[in-house]
Amino acid sequence: MRLLKAMLALQEAKGAVTDADLQRLARDEGVPLHRLQGLRSFYPAFREQPGPPVQIQLCRDVVCRLAAGHDHCQRVRAAVGDRADVEVREVSCIGLCDQAPAMLLNGQPRRGRLEDVRACLGGTGSDSACVAGTTPARRWPTDPYASPQARYGSLRRLLAAGRPEEVIASLKQAALRGLGGAAFPTGLKWELTRHAAGAEKYVVCNADESEPGTFKDRLLLEQLPHLVVEGMLIGAWVIGARRGIIYLRHEYVHAAQALRQEIERAYATGALGQGIFGSDFGFDLELFISPGGYILGEETALLEALEDRRGEPRNKPPFPTNAGLHGRPTLINNVETFAAVPAICWHGPDWWASQGKPGYKGLKFVSVSGDVARPGVHCVPWGSTVREVLELCGGVAGGRKLKAFSPGGASTPFLPASMLDTPLDFDALKAVGSALGTGAMVFVAEHRNLLDVVLAQVRFFRNESCGKCVPCRLGSQKAVAMVEQVLAGAREALPVDLGELHETMARTSICGLGQVALLPLIDALRRFPREPSLQSLRRVRS
Amino acid sequence: MSGKMLTLTIDGRTVSVPPGTTIWEAARLLGIDIPVLCHEPRMEPVGVCRLCVVDVGERTLAASCVRLCEDGMNVVSQSAEIEHHRRMLTLLLLSEQPESSAREATTGDDALYALARRQGIDEIPFPDGARGHPRGRDDSSPVIAVDHQACILCDRCIRGCNELQHNHVITRSGKGYRARIAFDLDVPMGSSSCVACGECAAVCPTGALTHKALQHWRREWAGGEE
Repeated sequence: MRLLKAMLALQEAKGAVTDADLQRLARDEGVPLHRLQGLRSFYPAFREQPGPPVQIQLCRDVVCRLAAGHDHCQRVRAAVGDRADVEVREVSCIGLCDQAPAMLLNGQPRRGRLEDVRACLGGTGSDSACVAGTTPARRWPTDPYASPQARYGSLRRLLAAGRPEEVIASLKQAALRGLGGAAFPTGLKWELTRHAAGAEKYVVCNADESEPGTFKDRLLLEQLPHLVVEGMLIGAWVIGARRGIIYLRHEYVHAAQALRQEIERAYATGALGQGIFGSDFGFDLELFISPGGYILGEETALLEALEDRRGEPRNKPPFPTNAGLHGRPTLINNVETFAAVPAICWHGPDWWASQGKPGYKGLKFVSVSGDVARPGVHCVPWGSTVREVLELCGGVAGGRKLKAFSPGGASTPFLPASMLDTPLDFDALKAVGSALGTGAMVFVAEHRNLLDVVLAQVRFFRNESCGKCVPCRLGSQKAVAMVEQVLAGAREALPVDLGELHETMARTSICGLGQVALLPLIDALRRFPREPSLQSLRRVRS
Repeated sequence: MSGKMLTLTIDGRTVSVPPGTTIWEAARLLGIDIPVLCHEPRMEPVGVCRLCVVDVGERTLAASCVRLCEDGMNVVSQSAEIEHHRRMLTLLLLSEQPESSAREATTGDDALYALARRQGIDEIPFPDGARGHPRGRDDSSPVIAVDHQACILCDRCIRGCNELQHNHVITRSGKGYRARIAFDLDVPMGSSSCVACGECAAVCPTGALTHKALQHWRREWAGGEE
């Protein structure tokens, strides 16, 4: 973390990490120049030269595209014109899909409508009119504590009279699975990490959610940071770790503030540090701000970043449970997973199970965006139908009919409106050929061009490919290029079957990004045979 | 090597190896030649070209150069599916290559072109990413010619420079499709801290890094054209 932290500090202080900075850093840290160049050029937070005083980072991904049109970025550029003091950059999803279109203005989250851009540029509009990123606080059912004084109650109870094995048994009984999208059984992961050999172990919270349409962790971190910290503490106590790191995407400035305050408070009240609540258990926790990139949400890429390398996913096995940070056993869970643990410990696994719909266990935070009347985050009983969630958000915007919805994030295939009664559940959505993913539900109304939507998802994966392995680096680029050529009329038909390219990427890519990069498009071609926008891609040169 | 020997089957044949052996190495003991571009036996494997993928019965195929053998493993290294993927990967790489190989013009041993010939590839369906040579050349070093267009990002030069020779000059720079190799803080090779040891050109499997032969200089000195 040392090199990246030093580089982030330089970027923050000077607006750039210049060659001279890296030459100094190389001398001070005793690392070769090439290594620093590898880092600077990989992470989007760094720039080689300072930019102009006004830097606009405009989201180009699917939800903002739906909200503001496919030519929004061009229109913003036109509005800015040739002003030398303003720079517009198009960036991947910034996790403000409930306030789409969104942007970062000098790193601060803002609404990004054309009028917002004009107001911010002209200095005429009140700045507060386009502030985004803070949502009114709500009482969430996963927070078992009625008052701030009662917080960390589950941890207190466990430290006084609990056994680690009981926590693992509770998590298993609650059927908690990884809520970052991979659905790995949490109890089993904790058990494997607890039993992994090694005196030194780590706990890492993956707070790098970056998939278009996903923003539930942002709200959890802003509003329930104490549950994330407590979940990590309980995890550390169970597996025997003394150090933890929260890996947070740099765009989440409000969440960073909330986490910093919570960590400070926890140290002040004896929930973090040595001799926690009078026990012999000690745990130190720090916040690490990611220098950027969706791929860092891949857990081994995240670990590479924490070890000051380019965030490229590792070949697996070994898995982090056995060989994670610095080769030590490491417990990595998503924000929502850690935040569920205190309630499960406090109320018991039966309570958690009873929160689900009949036949289902637990609660799920969903991020809802796209063509809905009121986008936002909701905490719903496990097994609620997609229709129920859509109704919670006021139905389809403008009273239109629904064309399709993606239930879980960019990689989860779009389903037709006829499948609205599918329950939100890992297995139920898998059974119909999609996935629950992170629970990032994107709704698309009838008048939309579905190809534009799914192609935006594929472009996202291409843009965010780390480039480490051949199938993903070249396959995602070639696929988008071929489709764009057909759409532009430069080719009559696709020169290769995209399905075959997808199979190669799915079977040979190192990580999940390359494995799913073409899936949104491939699946839509199969599932929406009559969708007009997709017809031009059905011809393949024989 | 300590520890109990591991027994596994590769393409139906049984082999016993010490723990820590990769599938690729175990296959070599059986005389099974798994194609690979990024791996070089003197280096730590990185598993990035994916040509050496094998089927170990999991959701995805495993890169045999980096995947360790396990006791009781059943490995398939050749199948219609695997050949299909290898061909697709080769086509993807070829679509970014310059029309002729600088390595074939010098030492004659371009591993990617050889692989393509073995696979009988005569046509590349993917859009040509090499037209106009967009990745550029770097002719600044007196002894090594750099053609970024021919680079397949196998990381062999990086490992050769940093791990084998400890010269610490080469890195991957940039990200995704725009990733390429770079020297020091991304300066031309001739102005970098390169000592011209030649390791990178020796281990490069394509025409990306090639030695400039003495005849190159003879021509230069004579003021002639190539």
